[in-house]
Amino acid sequence: MTQFFDYLILGLTRGSMYALIALGYTLVYGILQLINFAHSEVFMSGAFGSYIVVHLIVGSGSGTATWEVPIVIAVGMISGALTAACIAWTLERVAYRPLRRRGAPKLAFLIGAIGASFFLSTLASKLFNSQTTNQFPIFFDHNTTLFQIDGANVKALQAVIVLSALAMMVFLDRLVNVTKLGRSIRAVSEDAPTAALMGIDIDKTISRTFIIGGLLGGAAGFLFGLNFSFAYNMGFAPGVKAFAAAVLGGIGNIRGAMLGGLLLGVVENLVLLIPGFDASWTDVVAFIVLVGVLMFRPTGILGERVGRAA
Amino acid sequence: MTDATARTTLPPRAQIHAPSHRTVLVKRLLACLAGGVVLAMMVGSQEGSQTDYGYAFRKSVLEPRIVVFLGIGVLLFLAITYWPTIVPYLTRPGFWPLLSGALAVVAAITLMHWYDPAGDGKFSSTATVVSHAKNISALATAFFSWLAWAELLAIVIIGAASIILGLRRLAVVVAVAAVVAAIISYLAHQAVVNAGGHQIDHSLGYAAAILGYLVVAGAMMVSATTAAQQVESKALVGRMFAFRPGLPLVVIGAVLTLLAFLEARWFSPGDKNTTLSATHSLFAGSGLSSFEYDYLGWLGWLLLAIAVVVAGAAVWTRSRPLGWVAAVVGLAATLITLLTMYEMSKIGAQHKLDAATGPWQNLGAGGWMACGGLFLLGAAGFIAATALRPSATGVSGAHGRRGGPGFTSSDVVGTSTGSQKAIGYLSAPGAARTLLLIAVAAALFYPPTATSFWQEVVVSQIGISMLLAVGLNVVVGWAGLLDLGFIAFYAIGSYTTAYFVGSLPIKPPHWMIVTPLLTIPLAVLVCLLAGLALGAPTLRLRGDYLAIVTLGFGEIIHLSAVNSQGITNGSEGLTNDTQRHTKSVPQPSIHIGPLHIHWGLNQLQYWYLLLVFLVVIVLAFRRLEQSRLGRAWAAVREDEVAAQATGINTTKVKLAAFAIGASTSGVAGAFFASQIGVFTPDNFVLNNSILIVAYVVFGGMGSLSGAMAGAAMLTWLPQFLKYQVPPADKLMWIGAVVMLMMIFRPAGLIPARRRAAELHGLDVPSSAETLAVPASEGL
Repeated sequence: MTQFFDYLILGLTRGSMYALIALGYTLVYGILQLINFAHSEVFMSGAFGSYIVVHLIVGSGSGTATWEVPIVIAVGMISGALTAACIAWTLERVAYRPLRRRGAPKLAFLIGAIGASFFLSTLASKLFNSQTTNQFPIFFDHNTTLFQIDGANVKALQAVIVLSALAMMVFLDRLVNVTKLGRSIRAVSEDAPTAALMGIDIDKTISRTFIIGGLLGGAAGFLFGLNFSFAYNMGFAPGVKAFAAAVLGGIGNIRGAMLGGLLLGVVENLVLLIPGFDASWTDVVAFIVLVGVLMFRPTGILGERVGRAA
Repeated sequence: MTDATARTTLPPRAQIHAPSHRTVLVKRLLACLAGGVVLAMMVGSQEGSQTDYGYAFRKSVLEPRIVVFLGIGVLLFLAITYWPTIVPYLTRPGFWPLLSGALAVVAAITLMHWYDPAGDGKFSSTATVVSHAKNISALATAFFSWLAWAELLAIVIIGAASIILGLRRLAVVVAVAAVVAAIISYLAHQAVVNAGGHQIDHSLGYAAAILGYLVVAGAMMVSATTAAQQVESKALVGRMFAFRPGLPLVVIGAVLTLLAFLEARWFSPGDKNTTLSATHSLFAGSGLSSFEYDYLGWLGWLLLAIAVVVAGAAVWTRSRPLGWVAAVVGLAATLITLLTMYEMSKIGAQHKLDAATGPWQNLGAGGWMACGGLFLLGAAGFIAATALRPSATGVSGAHGRRGGPGFTSSDVVGTSTGSQKAIGYLSAPGAARTLLLIAVAAALFYPPTATSFWQEVVVSQIGISMLLAVGLNVVVGWAGLLDLGFIAFYAIGSYTTAYFVGSLPIKPPHWMIVTPLLTIPLAVLVCLLAGLALGAPTLRLRGDYLAIVTLGFGEIIHLSAVNSQGITNGSEGLTNDTQRHTKSVPQPSIHIGPLHIHWGLNQLQYWYLLLVFLVVIVLAFRRLEQSRLGRAWAAVREDEVAAQATGINTTKVKLAAFAIGASTSGVAGAFFASQIGVFTPDNFVLNNSILIVAYVVFGGMGSLSGAMAGAAMLTWLPQFLKYQVPPADKLMWIGAVVMLMMIFRPAGLIPARRRAAELHGLDVPSSAETLAVPASEGL
């Protein structure tokens, strides 16, 4: 049982990061019906941006007092989120808006996004470095046990990740369901021409949707970098997983993306409990689960569209 | 009345909310400057380090060089802002040819090789060598130190000025200057080669420069003519295709063969590098049989003369029998040339010249050029023999079999409506076939003259990518199903081949082990089944859900190949390992009766094998596209519900697309396995799947030539960039190219006709659509 909770906690940690990234995919899909393949690079840029700021504040991280830790984490998350939001906004302006204006076929967006993804990740490796295991400065002991569940340790960093991810998800859910911006996002994703007739500025709404997705992805980039390591090519694998998570939950559906992300993370880790499965099979199982779910629910667990999530 | 309508229509939305003009300008300027900064970060070889992350950023942005990039940004800003003022000048006749010619010259000077023995062979290295050389003409010294750039700059500036100001006389002068510049580059290169003695030089920079200057000269001549004259010159080109189909091929073939006989090198082992006549004297008394020896002496010339005369006569008189004769003569002359080259190189191998081990080694480019030229002469005969004649009225006969826009004399003189736009330089019915035959000649005879590096690139990357792109085009382009796991079928094909030749740790029964070429049907079959197995349960998923499932399928196959140590030998791949009972996949060979062909390490052999596969598949797919199934795919792609309502069994049709696409990659996989011999699961990662989708979309979804062009372009680009930018930055530039391409040409390099019709409505001739339906089946 201890082992079960160990894996469950690991799964929730990973899953909440997936969920944050998946939200970026699902928001953009909901509003434009297209897969933003460059979102994994938005996530990556968040890690780099937050590293620069955190490094600036704490240096090597050794002399950080306990009371400073929450502040540094908050600052790191915000800086990562802002960097990523800038990248996401630029991406929309430079790569997507001209294509939208031209009424390009959907796959042109996809390929353009793949081009942007290559571009951004290589530019990052050129401007920073091309090593694959860059570490954040260690400014607090990641492995401090906060409390135990049935003998399984819940570590400080894991708690930080899960709690902040949950906070952001609740925030986003409220944002989409309650605020005026959220209402315009839902309106545009439901029926863009009608929304425009109602006086909603579609371009602005789409821009803001990209920014929100970027904010969440950037924060996830910071958390991911803190937990594992960060590199110019860090975006690809989690990006694919998060995309799968978004589809699993029903792409375009915000709560679906959260659920899908958490589920995928948990399944990936719990599968290790089955004898005969080692870490090399986790990805296979993850995709088999995905295919299996789509077999029986062809539009994901919760169905699709942002509009219907409310 | 016009006033009334103007009052009732609302102004466009943009005008209501239009932000002030100044805000727009400031925003645009900022964006352009930001673009300049990004460009500054892209150019250069800086890289950050573990200890100092800001290093690269400072190096690229905080140095004086930033001024140049900001300047580029400002220029961009001005160009965008004053675009409406600029456009009328850009559309003046001759401007775009001038620009492309000038770009060709710039590319020739900055990118291409000018003299191979000099360092890396590029212009700058050649210039260094020239400046140190003593006995070299003053012209060459001047050319390589300053003249090359100066003449280019002068020609471009004066040429542009004459176009913008409409000075016809000046344009003629510039045209003459461009021709002179072309001659200068030839002479300068020749002077360097002569001064260098007998060193081997395959550089082509001077040729590209000449070509560029000739284009410039043509552009200036075009701008010097009046509008009426231009219509006539277009008509002239059209007439050459329409009324003397094949004439351009005769000219090209004759020139190419003449160049081959006069200038090019035929035999180049070690220290020798001989032209045709020198080869003739070289092989005197060497045991070369008299027939081939005579070819080098006079027979070759005779063959050329006969081929040119017969082809020319056939084309000019539009005689079908004579056309067939010309085709046979051209083909025979090509074969005799090949035979001569074979015997020559065999004797060279007997003498172990330059460590030659067999025939076809140490040959220069001349023989292949001659083959190409003679082949084109034969092709001209073929076109003359098969071209449709213009009928007496000049209306009906010119319609090509595939329903291209008719090109008739009445069209040329044409009314100014509609048809005027359609008349380009290449809209004549023979034109497409002419281009196709030139492409065939290039595919057949160009690769042997390339360096072994490029041969390998052509085979193992361009060729195989083309095959895969053509296969995926069926799924993505025609049936409209986004498949992000296409590489899985390729992997299945490769591993099937490896299994049936007995290279995997698990072995088939003894009697089932076959040679690599015989595994192709098996690989196709297994891939077809895999396609059905993936397709059957998943095809009811809509668009993007299908994409993620196929992506998952690709990952599952890849990871299974990595993890199944016992079946695939895991991530180590197939190596010659007796302990694990694996060995590399043998090279293909054919033994039928007296015919023995063994594919060895020479990449060229694989190229021709691949070409056979490619041609067969492309021909089959061309038929398929127009068939009932092909039209059903188009219907499903456009509107699945409507397609179902018209009685199409959508599931079956989609399954067929999956199965056909998968079996194509089965062929590619089998070929790949036996060509490369040793492979690992890393050849089949997700990134490659995405790249194949990129080939198809980049080239133009749904068009066969587009898919192939996209694959060729995107596999050639990284190899090309390898020498132009720091290797680590390769992907960045490719990404930028792909992104810009999609922004500015979202339909791809060569958009499919049917797709073009969807994007632009009824602009395309309706005949193209209706002719897609065979007379027996509908309407």
